[in-house]
Amino acid sequence: MAEGVCIIAEFREGGFRRVSFEIASEGRRLADELGEPLLALALGESIDALAGDLGCYGVEKVYVVDNPILKDYKAETYVPVAAQILQNLDPKVVITPASVDGKDFSARLAARLGAGLATDCTELKVERGSLKAKRPMYAGKAFAWYEWSDGSYPQMASCRPNVMDCLAPDTSKKAEVEKAEVEVVGGTQTEVVSIEKDAGGKLDLTEAEIIVSGGRGMKGPENFAMLEELAKLLGAAVGASRSAVDSGWRPHADQVGQTGKVVTPNLYIACGISGAIQHLAGMSSSKYIVAVNKDPEAPIFTKADYGVVEDLFQFLPNFIEEIKTLKSTC
Amino acid sequence: MQPGHFPANLLFILIFLAANAFFLFTVYKLYRIMRLGQPEERFDHVGERLKGVATFVLGQRRVINEPAGWGHFFIFWGFVVITIGSIETFGVGIYHGFAYWKFLGKGVTSLLYLIQDLLCFAVVVALCISLYRRFVIKPERLRYEHQRAANQDASIIIGLIILLVVLLLGARAVEYLLSQNEATAYFPTSAFISVAVANVFRGLSQDGLQGWYSFFWWSHTLIILIFLVYIPFSKHLHLLGAIPNVFFRRFSSMGELSKMDLEDETAETFGVSRIEEFTWKQLLDLYACTECGRCSENCPATLTGKPLSPKLTIHHLREHLQNKGKVLLSQHGEEQTDAANPEGELARALVGEICQHDELWSCTTCGNCMENCPVFIEHIHKYVDMRRYLVLMESSFPAEVQNVMRNWETNSNPWGLGFATRGDWARGLPVKTLAEDSHVEYLFYVGCAGSFDDRAKKISSAMVKLLNEAGVSFSILGPEEKCCGETARRIGNEYLFQTMAAELVETINSYGVRKIVTTCPHGYNCFKNEYPQFGGEWEVYHHSEVLLTLLQDGRLQTKLPMNKHVVFHDSCYLGRYNSIYDQPRHLIRSISGVRFSEMDRSRNKSFCCGAGGGRMWMEETLGDRKINDARTEQALALRPDIISVSCPFCTTMFEDGLKDQNMEEEVKVYDLAELLAQSIDS
Repeated sequence: MAEGVCIIAEFREGGFRRVSFEIASEGRRLADELGEPLLALALGESIDALAGDLGCYGVEKVYVVDNPILKDYKAETYVPVAAQILQNLDPKVVITPASVDGKDFSARLAARLGAGLATDCTELKVERGSLKAKRPMYAGKAFAWYEWSDGSYPQMASCRPNVMDCLAPDTSKKAEVEKAEVEVVGGTQTEVVSIEKDAGGKLDLTEAEIIVSGGRGMKGPENFAMLEELAKLLGAAVGASRSAVDSGWRPHADQVGQTGKVVTPNLYIACGISGAIQHLAGMSSSKYIVAVNKDPEAPIFTKADYGVVEDLFQFLPNFIEEIKTLKSTC
Repeated sequence: MQPGHFPANLLFILIFLAANAFFLFTVYKLYRIMRLGQPEERFDHVGERLKGVATFVLGQRRVINEPAGWGHFFIFWGFVVITIGSIETFGVGIYHGFAYWKFLGKGVTSLLYLIQDLLCFAVVVALCISLYRRFVIKPERLRYEHQRAANQDASIIIGLIILLVVLLLGARAVEYLLSQNEATAYFPTSAFISVAVANVFRGLSQDGLQGWYSFFWWSHTLIILIFLVYIPFSKHLHLLGAIPNVFFRRFSSMGELSKMDLEDETAETFGVSRIEEFTWKQLLDLYACTECGRCSENCPATLTGKPLSPKLTIHHLREHLQNKGKVLLSQHGEEQTDAANPEGELARALVGEICQHDELWSCTTCGNCMENCPVFIEHIHKYVDMRRYLVLMESSFPAEVQNVMRNWETNSNPWGLGFATRGDWARGLPVKTLAEDSHVEYLFYVGCAGSFDDRAKKISSAMVKLLNEAGVSFSILGPEEKCCGETARRIGNEYLFQTMAAELVETINSYGVRKIVTTCPHGYNCFKNEYPQFGGEWEVYHHSEVLLTLLQDGRLQTKLPMNKHVVFHDSCYLGRYNSIYDQPRHLIRSISGVRFSEMDRSRNKSFCCGAGGGRMWMEETLGDRKINDARTEQALALRPDIISVSCPFCTTMFEDGLKDQNMEEEVKVYDLAELLAQSIDS
């Protein structure tokens, strides 16, 4: 009989990816409602010492496979290992991140387990002792709820990063760590030769919860320092419109829009961006949009939840000061 | 060895037959290689095709569009007449008494000689100019990656022709002095240049003259035969390729791409990834190219430093075709290959090696290459065929294209905005949908930009205002409208395009629509030239056509003067693709007060805005500058107040270009409909 909720953690550069904590927190909630234990699976290299930290987010027991072969994610090595463990463990619910790797991994794993998988979910809940998953359709214009057929276990769902609430970590708790006895087969057809990081090593725009973005209204590359400062205060990433990138003020990696990054942060602050459709196409699914522009006719205001019609060179310094004050008082 | 006397005539006949046999053998091999291509129907409209040969080969209609083309005109005709003369020369080689005047009479023969004499002179002048051009002026379009080899080839050809002509004049001169036949009596008139040359040889003995005559005759004849043997191995292969290529030229608009058979269950690959997957006509194109470089000289990608030059593409393809073709034929057991490394030749990838990915993705499909090609080579269709392979077989395309394709798939517009909101732009405007009223004259197909882009919505609104003002009955599809898919097709995603086309055709046909008007040249071209492939047979109009008719019928009247300096940018898909050049100009000129100027590159030489062929949805990171900046600069050189356009994508490209140059306050971009709407405003 299937039991337990099992999350599959994801690592990056020797640490957990934040989404791992998000799905652990979500898993905790579901496990409580189901009255099941919360388990986790951690695959990677040199992760033994880390694994217990998942306990801070409510994981009771972590099965670890620590092997140099698993240093980087590869479907050919990860999927058989995870499948073996889960077949033995037989959990009721499996939750994975819907990250770039996670999307690939979860689909293959589900196929191997013969499990039903709801991908890219934004909400999970328990009804009548069974999982229900909500996922966006038509680029977020509609949502669909998914259920699993009776007796179909495990119920697998992958969760979109930055969507699930993350519990405040309880550092007093540690999860029990158990080394899983499985065979790890290397010698695959593909090999990760190197991982090239995007220059700058900044917060990835597509994962940022808050984005501060500048356009032609910034008037020059030097003025992006203001946005950098604001971003630092807010823990945000800095984006740019196409014209700012075209003018050579920002690297192309920062471009938000049709031919740049399509982003969905909780908060998108557009400074000096008029809002051409090419830009809107890349950010209009943000949860909250704040626009700062001195032209009240700028199309960006038709998409913004909050609009500031003011010269951004007046507004931003004051705004930054205000945030600093707020931060120092709390 | 006096020509025409035994044993010289026997020797000549042997050499002549050997050269011809070798020539025919080489040509047959080229023909076999061409026939490795796929079938394509190009045997219709035979009368029209012959007329085309008369106009474009004999008349050199496209060649003479350029000053340098006049040089070609004279060389071509000189060559033709010399060839006619050569028959006589060859005849003499067989029997010394052979002469034209015996068949044609002295009058006609003298006329022929006169023309020959004049053209010989003209050819020498033209060839000297061409040498000067190649080696002193060095125009950009004659530039080559292997410049030395290209120059060498050209020099051999030019040298041979000059020799040919000079030797002919020499032969004629000596002939005159020898007075060896009755036609020579007329030479002072009919061959006065030769007679002038004759002064050099005056005073020589009869034997001396006879010796010179033999020398001129033999060297002239041998050079013709050397030329014959050399042609198929040089770029002068175009002598053989161009004429059939003109004959088999495309009759449909260059805006019609071929319909792929996606239902073919035996198909193992889609698109073109091997040279022999092109059609025989596409391969014939390669033989026809003489590397004049007019394509590249007008190519917006080449001119902004992108890794694409249509001339080089064709050159590389031809080289590859000839090398690989031989190996393929040898595999069929038809001949031995002389390729050093047959396996290597077969292994060379057409897409990725012969044609680079960046090269294929740099094309804006603007059609300037095809429009300017004197021998009707079809470049765009080759680029798209190879893109089809990349997209359909390898899923390989610029990363940002992924996004736009998904948006087309899910929401039938490039921005991925909700498909149900497509008709929202018309809220509050006096517009009906076909669902509300289908008894109307026109379907106004708004298009993606006109429906979703705030800027282009203004064009749609202006169009609505004008149609209503003129009392034209029309409806839109509203939320039922879908993207026409033309860009998906040009990016190479034929599968997606066919899905979209089938859906839209079904919707439109379900309302019994007969006339369609659209403000987007891309939709216009697609409906007009491509949807007939999918059962969409309608009268299709660009709004410039409809608006002009309404003006001419007096149903619209421009009232307000506009004291502005206006330039007009021809959209590629309207102009070159569909020959609509005059209507927009008439519209602009109908507004009183307007001062209208033509840009240097206008009408069929218009320079692309940079958005066509899916480039609108790709980043432009290669080259030394952006195409839209280059084009905007060309417009700004005339210091206009208004840049008038006929396409929503051109609108965006120019507005971006103006912003880049900080001119967006001084110069405005307006669609034709907007201009007109401003002028009828009361």
